[in-house]
Amino acid sequence: MNSELFEIAAKNIKRQGIRTYLTLIGIVIGIAAIVALLSIGSGLGVAIEKQFEGLGTNTIFIIPLGVTGASSEIKNSDIDAIESIRGVEVAVPIYSTAAQFEFSDTKVSINVSAAEAEKSGIFEDTGFFDMKSGRMLTKNDTFSVVIGERIAEDYFDKEISLRTRVKINGKSYRVVGILNEGAQTIGGGGPDTGSTVFMSLKGFEKISDAESPGIVFAQSFSGNDTEEVSERILDYLEDKYGEKSFLVSSSQQLLEQVRAILGLLTIFLTGIAGISLLVGGIGITNAMIASVLERTKEIGLLKALGSANREILTLFLLEAGYIGLVGGVIGIAMGFGLAGAIAFIGEQAGFALVAVMDPVMAIGALAFAMIVGMLSGFYPALRAARLDPIVALRYE
Amino acid sequence: MPKKEQIIRLENVSKVYDLGGVQIKALDRINLGICFGEFISVMGPSGSGKTTLLDVLGTMQQPSSGDVVIEGVATNKMGNPELSVFRGKKIGFIFQSFNLLPKLSALENVMVPMWVNRLSKNTREKRAKQLLEEVGLGDRLFNKPNQLSGGQAQRVAIARALAMDPAIIVADEPTGNLDSKSEAQVIDILTNLNKEKGKTIVLVTHEQSIGKKAPKQLFLKDGRIERVVGFSKCDAWQGGKK
Repeated sequence: MNSELFEIAAKNIKRQGIRTYLTLIGIVIGIAAIVALLSIGSGLGVAIEKQFEGLGTNTIFIIPLGVTGASSEIKNSDIDAIESIRGVEVAVPIYSTAAQFEFSDTKVSINVSAAEAEKSGIFEDTGFFDMKSGRMLTKNDTFSVVIGERIAEDYFDKEISLRTRVKINGKSYRVVGILNEGAQTIGGGGPDTGSTVFMSLKGFEKISDAESPGIVFAQSFSGNDTEEVSERILDYLEDKYGEKSFLVSSSQQLLEQVRAILGLLTIFLTGIAGISLLVGGIGITNAMIASVLERTKEIGLLKALGSANREILTLFLLEAGYIGLVGGVIGIAMGFGLAGAIAFIGEQAGFALVAVMDPVMAIGALAFAMIVGMLSGFYPALRAARLDPIVALRYE
Repeated sequence: MPKKEQIIRLENVSKVYDLGGVQIKALDRINLGICFGEFISVMGPSGSGKTTLLDVLGTMQQPSSGDVVIEGVATNKMGNPELSVFRGKKIGFIFQSFNLLPKLSALENVMVPMWVNRLSKNTREKRAKQLLEEVGLGDRLFNKPNQLSGGQAQRVAIARALAMDPAIIVADEPTGNLDSKSEAQVIDILTNLNKEKGKTIVLVTHEQSIGKKAPKQLFLKDGRIERVVGFSKCDAWQGGKK
């Protein structure tokens, strides 16, 4: 191939001026949308992985699905039975309720979560709770609470410090620990641990008569296959309450499900963004057809002067490819910019959003843009290559 | 005349166009030999097949039947890539409407065939300058076609036709769009190319006054050679006489 074709193609594209720029916009928008969505999508993936990381691989969640009503409430006897299942180290039922939290003459509505104090160490072990100051609950704690740092620092005029007394549903509790803000949440305790209120089961019984836990955390002994253990738990529950009454899932399985959903969502959204790229591609086809018509004489002349059909084909394919390439470069920059902006706004709003700017993604998007360009340009290029030089030269 | 001296030989060449089911015979069993260094004009009324003859012997179009032999090579048996390269090196074209690329300068226009044939940038520029000087346009190198008169544009086109130093120049009504002064200039250049550089020139024109400037004239009618006027060192109408 004539190596100067690259240079000539680039010059030709520049010469087209406004038409090239308008065509570029279509590709830029399409690539930018795809890149932004992929970037945010994999950012979400990273954030979710991070959340699950702390859980370890031996955590099992047991969630009553509630569709069968009261029959799928877990009773204390079930907890004992689950704990006696082979491989289960501990099962921790977590109760939760909405409550009124009063401090310094202000009342706010919050969610309270509770578990047996003896077992609450699991939340630190699994990374759910990260103590900022103070301590976790112990066996003898009844009117003690651990609260999230946002409640402590932001909810009220005055900051709530350790050993302060607060009122929950009219009962007085002492704050013994404050949790760092983290993105994780348990049992409906709020959007994150920054706004969690956590107490012992004994303390919980003073303000709520909830009889069944919203979720049960279990841990398998290390060395056991967590998935097998979770299946044994499910078998036990389904034997007793019927099928589909509970969701029993290891953290790994849950992660995989979330990943699958996120993957589908990303594919779906990227597909929609792909439509705009398709439109951009049609724009290239259109512009190239116009260009071939306009340059009919030029094509005829090049053929008369010794250009073979395949060289004409290559020239026009390169021109279309350049539009894809330049549109791709600008689109990738804009897409990453857009993803960064979305992540920034999301972070401000309290979501753990990051934009992943993966060079492999960028290279892939660039290659894709060029391929779209060349595919779109293929028909016009073929038309150019097949022009009869005699007809082309006398074309008016 | 021995065949090896013929630079162009058409053997029993016919060209049939199919216009919506109607067969039009543009060339009808033409036999023609053109020798190295001949200057021949092709004349005849419109529709007589002049332009088709030029297209076929210039290898821009393949004949429907018969052989087109150029420098001993049967070009009608070549495929597109091979023929393109062959044409680019052996034949220079001059058109009625110049066919200069409007966005390129005179110099760049002359460089185009050398680009197509992959000569180095240096060679291209040097040779293009020299050719433009030879056709009297040394001071117009960087003008775009729209800044040139018709006569100047056609001289640029002649320089372009000479870029690859082809042995054959085919010219299709090269003076058709020119005033009489420019017309004379162009014919002078062609005559000189033939006399001084030994180029074989085939010139198509419908104007007798122009055609007569060629030592030998071929008259076409209804796709056949009607008569040949003039003499040259070789017989140009083998089998063409009625």
